[in-house]
Amino acid sequence: MKKLFVILCLITFAVAFKSINDELFYIPKNFPQPVYDFTNNPLSKEKVELGKTLFYDPILSKDNTISCSSCHLSYTAFTHTDHDLSHGIENRIGTRNAPSLANLAWSKIFMWDGAVHHLDMQALAPISNHDEMDETIANVVFKLQQSKKYRKLFYAAFNDSLITGEHTLKSISQFMLTLVSANSKYDKVMRKEANISFNEYEAKGYELFKTNCASCHKEPLFTNNEFENNGLEPDKFLNDGGRIKITKKAEDSLKFKVPSLRNVELSYPYMHDGRFKSLQMVLFHYTESVYQSPTLSHQLKNKMVLSENDKINIIAFLRTLTDEEFLQNKKFQPNQY
Amino acid sequence: MERSIYIFKKALLFIALIFSSKMLQAQDSKSFQLNFEPIFNNQVLVLNDSFYHIDNNDSVRFSKLKFYISSIKFYNNNKLVFAEKNSYHLVDASNSKTLYININKPFGTKFNSIKFNLGIDSITNVKGVLGGELDPTKGMYWTWHSGYINFKLEGTSNLCNTRNSVFEFHLGGFAAPYNCLQTIQLSLSNITTATVLVDVNKFLSQINLANTNAIMTPSKQAVELAKQATKMFIIK
Ligand code: HEC
Ligand code: HEC
Repeated sequence: MKKLFVILCLITFAVAFKSINDELFYIPKNFPQPVYDFTNNPLSKEKVELGKTLFYDPILSKDNTISCSSCHLSYTAFTHTDHDLSHGIENRIGTRNAPSLANLAWSKIFMWDGAVHHLDMQALAPISNHDEMDETIANVVFKLQQSKKYRKLFYAAFNDSLITGEHTLKSISQFMLTLVSANSKYDKVMRKEANISFNEYEAKGYELFKTNCASCHKEPLFTNNEFENNGLEPDKFLNDGGRIKITKKAEDSLKFKVPSLRNVELSYPYMHDGRFKSLQMVLFHYTESVYQSPTLSHQLKNKMVLSENDKINIIAFLRTLTDEEFLQNKKFQPNQY
Repeated sequence: MERSIYIFKKALLFIALIFSSKMLQAQDSKSFQLNFEPIFNNQVLVLNDSFYHIDNNDSVRFSKLKFYISSIKFYNNNKLVFAEKNSYHLVDASNSKTLYININKPFGTKFNSIKFNLGIDSITNVKGVLGGELDPTKGMYWTWHSGYINFKLEGTSNLCNTRNSVFEFHLGGFAAPYNCLQTIQLSLSNITTATVLVDVNKFLSQINLANTNAIMTPSKQAVELAKQATKMFIIK
């Protein structure tokens, strides 16, 4: 009887904690609680595996040529390095720069203008965007249903080989949720691990960063999850108003989501339209070329003054946000079949 | 040995209890049949083939009529008596099965009016991906701007100066100030069934198709048209 009781207790315990699966996802010591509600989509090994397979499979695009990873590559923090505007099927060029993907469980809202309000719904946008994958979710599900491999994978994940949009999107989310980047030098310094500390330049850069940048690029995620106007002069060809597209409010004109700066060393070119090729150019922008407009964020209304050495130090600090373990993590890369 | 027999007996009793209570429930519960009947004025609405006359000798043809009915509730003299659980129904004029909604309700409930939403509420909208009637493969989810499309009406008319003379009304949006969700309340005279006419003319007659023929985003106009759309629903 006692044995039974113990077993029952263990089961309840396991069920309560099952929604967050440690092996697949963890909350780093220096991070807040995630935003994503795992109880609606509890992680499992099989679902993450299915999500990863989908992420790397061009079956999601109309002509079966483009996968999510075409624009979001693991080695470059899941962005499309060296392309200012992302490229989709038939070489059509999109209107925005692909952001890096990491720590998505902590994001409240997605896309440069916040067009997508939930991670589960994210994949619908590239799948159906004419310039990206130009496909419909209904047809993706149809194609998946024809595939023996996917019927097996869906069965393993959901105990149901009938493929649905819900299950497809939930598993893509699951894979993206596992992309936690929290082992950069910065994190190790913050967690006081193994006597790791900033060098002189990085330490100076960190202080400058806290004064000039951290109100928007807030630690430890390096974004405040808000929309801000950081003074980019509007591009006359793209004519992208950012957040105003979604809210239709004048006060949101030229505001874009503050991007995380994790792995920023690798995610060039920078900004929503990829206009800057290097971090030097980004810092030149913040000190010399801030474009005045009514919605400019208040922190940037006064000229930012940084010496050339200050800039070098800030860049040294930004490089401490590179997380080699994340970039090289085999779990995030496609399986070798 | 005796002990295990005792446990076995107990278990049997328990199972029997569950079964009998289930059977009682089955006997005791009745259903309410809610039917939708798309029309144009006094004619039955048929998609694709038929032309319908509108003012000044122009005509329209419809290719799609699709909308969400959700949160169905029954009232007795304005007092809530029953609310359907998980109440989401996609009505699609091109699929006659979807025009008949069967609602299981407790036996013996008295009511004289019904209330439902035209569309999907904002709480459901922000829950993340959902299945069944709410699965994004149903074609009622905006992909480039998250949110459900509450109501779709599409067709053609010579009045529309658009490609192939097409008009498309996609009404949706769940965030203030452009929340499109509408509530419709109808009086009932029968407690087993009701047929609700969906008169598309009541919607179109208020619109000048020459000027207004494509609504595809949450906006002030979408909210106004959604209010207009509630007038289509009339008890037969
Ligand atoms: C053709 C290139 C391309 C493809 C293919 C693509 N994306 Fe993207 N992705 C982008 C661009 C560009 C953006 C930013 C778009 C915007 O803000 O308007 C983006 C944004 C995102 C974001 C939001 C990140 C954030 O922090 O806001 C996520 C998540 C994402 N993509 C996941 C995916 C998934 C999953 C797939 C496959 C189903 C995919 N992407 C396919 C280019 C692409
Ligand atoms: C007022 C808020 C604000 C402040 C202060 C601010 N930023 Fe930004 N930052 C933004 C926004 C918003 C963007 C995205 C703009 C866009 O693409 O339209 C951005 C983009 C960037 C990017 C590009 C990231 C990418 O992946 O494309 C870098 C790098 C950057 N900021 C670094 C800095 C540094 C370094 C500082 C301090 C010197 C700083 N920012 C101060 C709001 C701010």
